[in-house]
Amino acid sequence: MSQKVAKKTRVIWFVLPALLCMTFVHVIPIIWGAYISFLDLDIYTLAQWTKAPFIGLQNYVQIFTSKFAVGQKYLRSIYTVIIYGLITIPVGYVIGMLVALLLNRKFVGRTLVRGLILLPYITPDSVAYNVWRFIFQARIGLVNKYLLRWGIIKEPVIWLVGERALYPVIISSIWKGWPFACLILLAGLQSIPLELYEAAKIDGASKMQQFWRITFPMLQPVTKTLLVLNAIWNFHAFNQFYILLGSDPGKAHVPSTFIMQEAFKNLHYGRGSAMAVILMLIIMVLTVFSLLVKRGGSHES
Amino acid sequence: MKAEIYNPIERKNKKKKTKKIIAQILLYLAVLLVVLVVLGPYFWMVSGSFKSGLEIQAADVTKPELEPKWIPRKITLENYANVNKTVRMFDYFRNSMIISTGTMVLSIIISISAAYALSRFNFKGKNALAVGVASTQMFPGIAFLIPYFILFTFANKYFGIQLKNTYIGMIFTYTTFAIPFSILMLRNFLDTVPREIDEQAQIDGCSRGGALFRVIIPLSMPGIVAVGIYSFIMAWNEVLFASILTGRETKTVAIGILEYITAQQARWGGMMAACILVSIPVLVIFTSMQKQIIEGLISGATKG
Repeated sequence: MSQKVAKKTRVIWFVLPALLCMTFVHVIPIIWGAYISFLDLDIYTLAQWTKAPFIGLQNYVQIFTSKFAVGQKYLRSIYTVIIYGLITIPVGYVIGMLVALLLNRKFVGRTLVRGLILLPYITPDSVAYNVWRFIFQARIGLVNKYLLRWGIIKEPVIWLVGERALYPVIISSIWKGWPFACLILLAGLQSIPLELYEAAKIDGASKMQQFWRITFPMLQPVTKTLLVLNAIWNFHAFNQFYILLGSDPGKAHVPSTFIMQEAFKNLHYGRGSAMAVILMLIIMVLTVFSLLVKRGGSHES
Repeated sequence: MKAEIYNPIERKNKKKKTKKIIAQILLYLAVLLVVLVVLGPYFWMVSGSFKSGLEIQAADVTKPELEPKWIPRKITLENYANVNKTVRMFDYFRNSMIISTGTMVLSIIISISAAYALSRFNFKGKNALAVGVASTQMFPGIAFLIPYFILFTFANKYFGIQLKNTYIGMIFTYTTFAIPFSILMLRNFLDTVPREIDEQAQIDGCSRGGALFRVIIPLSMPGIVAVGIYSFIMAWNEVLFASILTGRETKTVAIGILEYITAQQARWGGMMAACILVSIPVLVIFTSMQKQIIEGLISGATKG
């Protein structure tokens, strides 16, 4: 008995540092952030935040009423990030899958190529997206150079400001994102028993049939994990927008950049927090939903 | 010739052979395409870093004779020589080194001890703890940033603790970002080390702590290395919190690199040279530890 108690107290010491860190950086800020979202907290009230007026759901109401341009812009940023994800995630997945199938074949230099394709994934965001920013420059960039040469456009297009700002972000994020999918899918491919393919060959299945009947179903667990992770992380999107388009991406704002601007440039901490809470709720609903789907799927198989 | 006409088997074989060769060529072409798409931006980065500022600024896509070129018209080292001239890149580099190394060390210590508890002890709330640790990954950074920023402001105002724009504040912040994934990854790793080994060590007269330090930690070195690298790279690359919480004394490379482009002047050449400098630590670490990192990533993604 006494030994058991002693053991218990010892466990605490092992987990305590991690618990303390997470409490200070995750738990307290999230709860506090939810509270701040009910306050009219701006730069004037920040100095004495306890006296900041409690305005109930006012911040939330403002976001959802069409009278307030800020709310409309925020809702638009949510729409933008969804469109962004609906393009980048499937395209990244398909490219990752095609390249994984390619790299699963035997050829000279395979190990080298497998290492090379990870470069975009491991390159720091600040480096990769700044290089893409250079590539997408209107007058001195590579993209316009080739589009002009091939006659697709007549004069240089301004990519990083205005209507078209989402395109460069999508293209560079796909470039940076597919290697992760490829890496995970490649690992999945290697775990599929070769006997399955041999049996299929004896039955006279074509390559296409082999893919749809064996490879794709066998990769389903990995695919689901990938898609769930990407769907959640999609709402975190910040770096690519901030680096490529600057602190004010205009019409291509996503929630993270917009909240940042609202809180740290316009100094509306209360309203920014309300926006952050909405973002978190969206992610939570999405997570619960995808966990249910994932669990349902695994029962079937 | 005769044989070719009269021997259907050999003919079939030949046909098969040409088909195979074509398939091989297509395979290598596809691989080449992938490699070119992956490496293109890096070629552009390297080439830009060797171009003079004049060449980059004078380029004009509308005029064929002034088109931006892959190969610099004249190779110059001025961007490297001046990398620290207008932007304090060396200071940012030092700041990033200190913050990333600190994060790495602290994150290793904290996640070893938590992972050890999760792997070797049975206690109430163990599963809740593991789920709680995993679920922090779900929340976006921006959700903590505002209250966290205000927390830093008040720590300073009421307790006189300066956290904003200090190494300690940044190391603490990044350590907390790094530990959830690190704990889960190390726990997976420790679970593969048989319990009998530490039990045996204890029978042989090691204390529990002795078993941890003499047996378990050496055996889980690959996992610890992977966690350390993950933490280092995470801190090196982080943008969102660095852009708000660092200041003149602690600015990291991820943010500092943006200073080459201002409203007045665009120093793309300098920025490309800085990009190469910033990538070096990450690339060196990664290539030397590729195997461990990939194993860690895959197990983290497939088990987690």
